Parts: sequence; structure tokens; C-alpha cells
Amino acid sequence: MRIGADLDSLRERGLWILVAVFVVVLLLGLRLGQLQVVESRHWSNLALNNRLRKIPLPALRGRIFDRNGQIFAENRPSFQLLVFPDEIRDTGRSLAFLSDLGIQDIAELRKDLRIRGPGAMAPLVAAETLSSEQVARIEAHQRSFPELSIVNRFMRFYPFGPLTAHLIGYLRHPRIEEVQADPDLEPSRLLGATGIEKLANATLTGVDGRRWVVASAVGRQLGVLREEQPRAGEDLSISLDLRIQEAAAEALKEHSGAIVAIDVHSGAIRALYSSPSYDPNVFSGALSPRQWAELSQDPRHPLQNRCTQGGYPPGSTIKPFLALAALEEGLVTPSWSVYCNGSTTLYGHVFRCWRRGGHGRVSMRRALESSCDVYFYLLGQKLGIEKMAGWLGFFGFGKAPGLGLGSEHPGLVGTPEWSRMVRKSPWYPGESVSVSIGQGPVLTNALQLARAFAILANGGVLIQPHLIEGGRDEAPEVLPLDPAHLKIVRDGLEAVVDGLHGTAHALQGLPVAGKTGTAQVVSLPKEGQELSAEQQHHAWFAGWIPRDRPEVAVAVLVEHGGGGGSVAAPAARVVFRRILSIIDEDRP
Amino acid sequence: MRSVRVRSEEPELRLKSLRSLGDPWLFFALISILGASLANLFGVSASMGGGLLLRQALFSAVGMLLFLAASLLRPEVWRRMAPSLYGLGLLSLVAVLFLGSVRSGTRGWFAFGPLTIQPAEFARLTTLLILAAFLHRVEDVRLRGRDFLMLLLLVGIPMALILLQPDFGVALTFAPLLIGALWLGGLPRRVWVALVVIALLGAGVTWLRVLKPYQKERVLTVLDPDRDPFGAGYQGRQSRIAVGSGGLMGQGLGQGSQSVLRFLPAQHTDFAFAAWAEATGFAGAGLLLAAYGLLFWRIGLMAWRAEDRFGVMLPLLTLGWVAFQFLINVGMILGWLPTTGITLPLFSYGGSSLVTSCATLGMVNALWRSRMDFS
Repeated sequence: MRIGADLDSLRERGLWILVAVFVVVLLLGLRLGQLQVVESRHWSNLALNNRLRKIPLPALRGRIFDRNGQIFAENRPSFQLLVFPDEIRDTGRSLAFLSDLGIQDIAELRKDLRIRGPGAMAPLVAAETLSSEQVARIEAHQRSFPELSIVNRFMRFYPFGPLTAHLIGYLRHPRIEEVQADPDLEPSRLLGATGIEKLANATLTGVDGRRWVVASAVGRQLGVLREEQPRAGEDLSISLDLRIQEAAAEALKEHSGAIVAIDVHSGAIRALYSSPSYDPNVFSGALSPRQWAELSQDPRHPLQNRCTQGGYPPGSTIKPFLALAALEEGLVTPSWSVYCNGSTTLYGHVFRCWRRGGHGRVSMRRALESSCDVYFYLLGQKLGIEKMAGWLGFFGFGKAPGLGLGSEHPGLVGTPEWSRMVRKSPWYPGESVSVSIGQGPVLTNALQLARAFAILANGGVLIQPHLIEGGRDEAPEVLPLDPAHLKIVRDGLEAVVDGLHGTAHALQGLPVAGKTGTAQVVSLPKEGQELSAEQQHHAWFAGWIPRDRPEVAVAVLVEHGGGGGSVAAPAARVVFRRILSIIDEDRP
Repeated sequence: MRSVRVRSEEPELRLKSLRSLGDPWLFFALISILGASLANLFGVSASMGGGLLLRQALFSAVGMLLFLAASLLRPEVWRRMAPSLYGLGLLSLVAVLFLGSVRSGTRGWFAFGPLTIQPAEFARLTTLLILAAFLHRVEDVRLRGRDFLMLLLLVGIPMALILLQPDFGVALTFAPLLIGALWLGGLPRRVWVALVVIALLGAGVTWLRVLKPYQKERVLTVLDPDRDPFGAGYQGRQSRIAVGSGGLMGQGLGQGSQSVLRFLPAQHTDFAFAAWAEATGFAGAGLLLAAYGLLFWRIGLMAWRAEDRFGVMLPLLTLGWVAFQFLINVGMILGWLPTTGITLPLFSYGGSSLVTSCATLGMVNALWRSRMDFS
């Protein structure tokens, strides 16, 4: 038995350990007393606050109908799958179950879970829309996977998808700054991002309700203390007519382009279709970065609303307005005529007519009918750029029509002053010549052009284009136009369809008056030279129906489509035929 | 008191007197803690399910059997078995690296159907034993360099194997064994100074290079508790709320809102003491602290009365280890130390830890019985 001095020193060292341990136990005991006796009330209050939670009850968003009650935007019940990270027992097994269930983006979820780590309370969204079969399977295995929670909610749904995408728009979550600026704005509330959803957001959004619940740490609701019911948003009818909208989509097919139909008397938009389009329903779920990149970087720009956000040279569609201007200004008479031999020389430059062989002697009616460029070069000379710009301005060129869909292109009517102030370069007299046939520094879009033709059709009433009824008390201004002058121009536009030399024979048989346009993107090539796809002309047709008692004006743009008569007029025919049949149907 | 003088050839006679089973106060402290642990799991089962209670009751029974079994062997037998047990411990740590199953990123468990065994807990027991056995043979008052290196190796090898799993928290629980062994072995003061300097430098490097941002946040939230109440500070905050809202008499088992509504994380393992404090208040939590105090006292007393080096080493190393985990765990729950994955021995849920803790205390108890035999 080893008993000696070393055992005593060993005992001494042991004593130090014992003393240290008891100091620790004592200190911890004191700390326990501090928390549980001295500060008990403070911590009890915090425990109470932990349990009470305010849950927003989102108000149902109003639906959007067309004028005939067709639903363009509605709310569909959907099942969202939440994962509460803190309740996961075995990550691998849970992810395997979700993968087996057909949940996409398991890798993404795994990454999110790793970032959150244990102790994270807020749930992750594992899937936005579960099928009923998936719901059944999750419920069957709920006991094994307590971390999974299925949430009923409503998702915005656009039954017609791409057909109304640019018009109706889609929803978005509020930005961080917006939430910070407005304490009542719940981060989960959806706001209109584009289109009618944005324009009428205030009407469509209801008032969110609130529910105070006793909640567990992982967000499970255990009991309701008090509840304020949400108030649903108002339904909204817009002036659109689904039947015309469908015809517009049919007319453009795969082409890039835009079609706008407008009621010539009220300014109500009946169709507004931009091609190519996209499915706005992808924005209702979780839009993956890949999907967003595909949409936003698509070289065909499906997100752009070509009807209102584009700016294109109007080409010959501008001619009726200049003809009317010249008559109103008394600078020409209806019988004033010029001889077109295929070109004319102004300011030392040769300006060609689109028809190399020339049109011979043409008066105003024939010039409109056959779209003679030489006639309008000379007519433009008489008007001068200031008067041309002034009159184009009366018809709305160069000004955003104010439909409210956002980012409207104002178009452009170039003048020497504009050149000096904006373009910072001198104005060449040749540019005035170009403007007189709708080329050069002059830009428009389908909405602007449809409205301008509606003004021609209704005799000068400056209608306000709109999608939502109401709110306009004052009668629109009226341009004081001489009916005789109007008739001359209208005759010319009827001849475009029916006349021997008309450029829109594709529309023959329909009571349409209108004008083709072939807007150059680059200067005319030499004979026999081919244009590449993006150098192809923009094809226009704008006009109204019926001729004698006009109701609807339509503008058709086929981007890089080629000739207005050969491409845009046949497309317009599809739309006009549909409008005609609707007018017949609706007539009592 | 010294009623039994029968030697081990007739073990059945040893059971005649309850007191012959060992130190009654140690036994009382152990039973109290285990009883409180089961009561706590009963309360926690409101939110965690009842399966835990049943399993822990089973583990407690096995633990008590092991405690008694370990008490029955004579200390010399333990000492002589130390090297082979240590080898077995290392073997199990190597084996688990290849055959073990993974739980939250750590390959540290053998799975036998519903039963999982954590070899690191067993390895800690065997390491403790070999340290005591080794220091028994080192009779110098001052620790020599060769022995110092040997101690480093004895603790370092299992620690390194556990870090390979990787389980930082469990590896950390080996640190008090090394520090205790060096202290008891008689490491010269200048070496202590050097070690402290190295430790400080190591801590600096660890802070700059090793710790992940979330780990740093946990440390910073101790200094500034309201720094990040929903991030790194969440668990500590919820734990303090649970303890504080327990008040003087507690909210009752299975009644505490922090536990039932699961604001309190890991309430059966790491934060078991917080759940107990919420349910039973200062009265219950204070009693539990007292039970641990009693346990520590009896273990210390065992060392004080020992008559050989092994008899001093074994209880003091055990004390160092249990008290270290006690301090880290309760200190964390009361908001004085950062959150780590270190459990409260004997109280937190977990079979391997409970069973090996009981066995270790059984070895300490064996010392008591042997002393009675010899005198």
C-alpha cells in the first residue's frame, strides 16, 4: 500500500478541484435565483409575447372580366407545401420522401435547409402547387414527417394565359423598401406588377384581415384569440372583348407584332394583343431564376407590350392625316394633282416612289388609294414640317395616349426644334420630305395609330383610349374638321380596299376603310437585293369598320413582316371579319 | 458500519446489507438525478412524444445495473483491466468511422435497429480509467516530460478519432480529463503558464481561422444577449425565457409554455435543464443543483479518503469530467456561456451517455466498498 507524502500533495491538489467545483455550483445557483426569483416577471412577459402572434389573413383579390363576363383573372385554391426545418428528424429521409413525391428542386431545398440550420423557425416553401394525389400522400405520412405542413391558399390564375398577358399583367411581392415605408403592408401581400393588375391595384386589392393566435415556436397555430375578417377586393370589368382579342392572336400567329382595336365613339379598347406573348401564370408560383432569365433575355422580347411600349415608323399610314391637314389648311384642293414618274428631286436629292415605274398623274383620292409617295413628298413640301407636326399632334402622334398600362412609348414627330433641343443636330430639309411619307424622325405604335384612325372615323372626336369604364366626366374635345374634307380622305381610304389601284385588296368584300403602310427599317435596297429578317419592313394596316357607320378602329403591326398590303392587310382581315360578325350578333 | 468482511469468493453474502453496496449518499444523489430526469421527460413528452420517457426509463434501469455491477468489481481489477478496455475503446472509435451511421453530419453512432450506441461515451470511460491507472504508477511528485507526453497521447488519440467523425462537442468533453490528469500528475507551474499562453494563442487562431461565422455569433451573443434574438441568440434567449418564467415554484410538468409550444430547442437533450427549471421553478431546479452538489461532494470525499493513488485519481478525474459538462451545460442554459452541443450528464436524454456515466460512478463506488473491506 502506497501511503506517503505524495498522496498528501495529491489530496491537496484534489481539494483545489473540489473547491473550484463548489464555487461553480454556488455561482450557478445564484444565477438561477437571479433568473427565477429576481427577474421572473420580466421573463414571464417575454414567454407570453412568444406565444401571441399576429397572422395576416390575405384578402381575396378581385377578379377581372371582359365586357361579356369572360374571366381574365381569378383566384384558384392551391396547396402549398411548407417545411418547418426545426421539426425535421432525419433530413436525408425527408428529402428522399419529397423527391419520391415528385417535388422539384430537391437540391435547392437541401441547400436552403443547410443555410437555415437547426433552430430556424420560419418555414421553407417546398412546393407551390401540390396535386391532390401529392396532398393525399403527404397526409398519409404526416406522422412520420411532422415538419411538413400543407397550407391552403389562393393563387392568381389567368385562364387565357398568353392571350391577355400584356394587358392583364401579373403580380409581385412588395419590395423591401415598400414594406419598410408602409407598416400596414404585409410582405406576403401581392401587388399588381404590370397591366390592369397594376393599374387597378387599389380596386382589386381588398383589406387584409388579422388573426391573433397562440402559436408554437415552429409556427403551428394552436388557438385563435381574436380575428378581423378580410374584405375581398372588388371585381373589375374591362372594356376588352375576348372574341376580338382571340382574332388578333389568330391574325398574328407566330409573327412578332401588335394589334389594337378601339371603339371609335367611346375610346374603349376592344383588343390589345402583342406577339410574342408569355404565360403570366408562371409569375403566380415561384418563378425560378432560370425561368426569369429565359423570359427576360428572350431575343424576341415577349415581355414587351408592343402595342403601347414600342415605337415604329408609321410609313404610309400617316398619309391620310397629312392629306386632311393640307385640305384643312387650304394648301391643296381635292383636285390638285401631281405627275408621278417613280421619283422626284428635292433639295438636290432624288426621292423615289415605292413604285419604281411611277403612278402617272394622281389626285388626292388616287394618291391615297395607291399610296403614291411622290404626291405626298410634294404635299409635304406645301405643308412644311411645322404644320405637318402640328396636325399630326392633333391626332395624337408624339404623345402617350395615357391608357395607364405603364411605360407607354410617346411616339415621335420630329421638328427642327426637336432636332436642336433633343437630338442636338441640325434638321435637314430632306427629313421633312421623309416625314411626309411616315419615315425618318417619326414614330408611332398600334395604340396611337388605332386611336388616330378612330378620330378620322368619328369625325374628329378626340376620344380617350381606356380599358376601365367610368371616371371621365367631361366630353372629349372635337377637332373642327370640314366634313367635305373628311369625306375626300375617307373615300380615298375606302378605295385602298376596293379601288382598282388599292393596296389592301386582301380586305375586299369587307366594309373596311383604312390604309396600308410599309415602314422601312433600312433604306430601300437595290433591285434584286434581299433583305435579312431584321431588316425587313414593318407592315402596317390601320382602318375602321363599318365604313359608313364606323364602330371599331383597328391597327395591325407585323414587325419586320414585309409589305403592309401583302402581310398586314390579310392579318387585319381576320380581325375585321370577327368584328363584323360580332356587330351582326349584337345587333338586336 | 463495517459489518461485511466477506471476500469476493462469496459475493452473494455481500448483498445482505444495503450499505455494503457502497456509498448511500452517492446512490441517493444518483437516484434523485435519474428520477428528476424521468420526471422531466414525462413533462417534455407533451411536446416531444412519450417514446423518449420509456426509452430513458429503460436506459436508467440498465444504467443502475451497470452501476451496481461496476461497484462489485474490486478497484484493482478495474486498474488492471484499464489497458485492454482502453484498447477496446479506441477500436470502437476506429470502427465507428467505417461502420457508423451518420446523424446530422456526424459519423458517430452504431445503429442496431432502433438502438444507437455512441462509442465516444464508452471511450471516455476507458480513457478516464487508463489515466487513473497510468498516474497510479507515476509516483513522482512532479510530472516528468515522458509522462507528460504519454498523458497527451492517451487523451489525444481518442480526441483525434472523435474529431474525425467530426464531433467537436464530444471531443471537448475529453479536455477536462487531460487537464485533470495534468493537474493531479503534478505538472510544474512554469509548464502551466506556458500551456495557458499557448491556449490563449490557440484561442486567438481558432477565432480567426477555425470558427465558422455562426460559431463566432454564438460567442458574441453571450457578451451581448440581444445582439441577434432571432438568429444566433435565439436558443440562448428562449432558454433564459424558459428558466426565468419558471419562477419560484414552476409552471408544472408538461405545462411550461416554452417547452410545450417548442420555443425551447432540444428540450430533452441539451436544454433539458431549462425545461426542468421552467416546469419546477427555483424549487425544483435548486434541488437538482443540490443533488449534483451532493454527487460532487461524495465523489470528492471518496478521493479524500482513498488510500492509494488510483483511489484518488479515479474519483477526481470523474469529478472533473462531470463537473465540467455540468458547468458548460448549465452555464449555457443560464446565459453565461455560448451554445454548444454539450449535454448534462445523467439528466439529458441519451442512452450511451447515461449508461457510461452510471458505470463510471459505479467504479467510483467500488472504491468505497474496497475501503470498507480493507480496514
